[in-house]
Amino acid sequence: MNKRLSITLLTAPAMIVLLGVFILPMLLMLMLSFQDENQAFTLQNYTLFVQDSFYVEILWRTIRVSLWTVLATLLLGFPVAMYMAQATGKMRGIVTMLILAPHLISVVIRNFGWVVVLGEKGWINEMLMKLGLIEQPLRLLYNELGVVIGLTDSFIAYMVLAIATSLYAIDPSLSKAASILGASRIRTFFTVTLPLCLPGIIAGTTLVFSLSMSAFVTPALMGGTSVKVMPVIAYEQIMATLNWPLGAALAFLLLGSTILLVTLYTKLIETKRYKEVFAS
Amino acid sequence: MKKINTFGLITFFVLLLVNLPFLVIIPSSFTAAGYLAFPPEGFSFQWYTMILDRPEFVESLWTSLKLATVTAVLATVLGTLAAFALSKYKFRGSGVINALMLSPLTVPSLIIGISALLFFTRIGIAGTFTGLLLAHILISIPYVVRLVLTGLSTFDYTLEKAGYMLGAHPLRVFWDITLPLLRPAIVSGMIFSFLTSFDNVTVSLFLVAPDTTTLPLAIFTYMQETLDPLVASISAVVILLSLVFIVLLEKVYGLERLFGLNSQSH
Repeated sequence: MNKRLSITLLTAPAMIVLLGVFILPMLLMLMLSFQDENQAFTLQNYTLFVQDSFYVEILWRTIRVSLWTVLATLLLGFPVAMYMAQATGKMRGIVTMLILAPHLISVVIRNFGWVVVLGEKGWINEMLMKLGLIEQPLRLLYNELGVVIGLTDSFIAYMVLAIATSLYAIDPSLSKAASILGASRIRTFFTVTLPLCLPGIIAGTTLVFSLSMSAFVTPALMGGTSVKVMPVIAYEQIMATLNWPLGAALAFLLLGSTILLVTLYTKLIETKRYKEVFAS
Repeated sequence: MKKINTFGLITFFVLLLVNLPFLVIIPSSFTAAGYLAFPPEGFSFQWYTMILDRPEFVESLWTSLKLATVTAVLATVLGTLAAFALSKYKFRGSGVINALMLSPLTVPSLIIGISALLFFTRIGIAGTFTGLLLAHILISIPYVVRLVLTGLSTFDYTLEKAGYMLGAHPLRVFWDITLPLLRPAIVSGMIFSFLTSFDNVTVSLFLVAPDTTTLPLAIFTYMQETLDPLVASISAVVILLSLVFIVLLEKVYGLERLFGLNSQSH
């Protein structure tokens, strides 16, 4: 068969889906975000964002919640990745399975489990009350804390994967060399292991940040009506208020600010690393 | 050794944490009480029989299974064909096509959902099963393409050549040589697509109509109004169903390899 024809026949079905369900709709959405009620060109959907402190406040809350999630997943995920890198075959397999399998079960269900644990009559509050440590149930849900807990649970697997992959790639003889040269465990960690797995840390933090910024289900279920983040208000504009141009613009503003922050972050870290290299 | 123990302790805690939701949901679903409590009070199957009285859950489970199955089959066929072209032929624009195939992964589901809603409304398929299906195929294709491409990267094309030289028809070569060798990659692509579709909320959210609601979405909606053991029992059903597929995936391909973890392990 003709090579050109084969390529076209093989890729066409998938390309049609990609163009028809992804590329074209995205272009339409972008166009719509620049339209007013009379379908004339306008920037008002975007400028509204800067003028109205309500939206700025919501973006800031989205960023804050995402940063806390990054911090929590990093602090909890890093030791797990270290453990996986040091563990032997079978144990590593078990840990991998137990951290990845929950990830393949719907987020709605995982969030529901957390609601049962963290609620006012939930497991944690009941236990603390019985032990007499608290008199009133703690508010662990329907606030930013609840959202951060839910997001951490959802995204920690990504952080662990990113860091573990970079740790696996480190040649173990390097740490051995360092200890032969007399470096302590802690010194070896900070001068050999940490710098070498930095790419994994950067990949993990940017991924978890981006995912947290656009998460919808967890803020809706575990934040309730009090923790409105950007994806939630974009959803409300689209499905409840039916102001599609504004909803589209809010979604793009969210995507834009996420990309901007991630780019700034990676640039900042890269410059710092270059400085370190050239200064020493 | 002390270092390993500290890491091991934190690892144990994290593993407990990420699995806690399931450890809580399953016992809660057998409660005899009329409200959610952990530890559960008494033992009964009442909340399981109660599911059958709620048509919205039974129908949406049916919709979800149907949707996930059709999505898995179609996404696997489309993705596998495209991966074949990308791996077998060197051509101008293959880089662009490759990037395009993976691009739905880089855009938040929220935006995929909104843009599909806007476009489907224009062409009149918003709220239909077809619309939902197309969107689910779109978000599954990248996984299939990536898995099959990985499978093809270690594929020995001389085996195909040997088949041709022995006089086999190209279709027969494909069916008897190429496909069996790629089976793990293709089957895991199919299972992963099934789970992607079966779990999805954020894209479906914008595309369902009352009669095409999927199960995760039905639970999502129900949960925002009522929290009772019914959510626990229906969730337990979903967990069990998903577990079957997760175990299958682990057996066919290995979760480690699926998430690209052991490529460089020593």
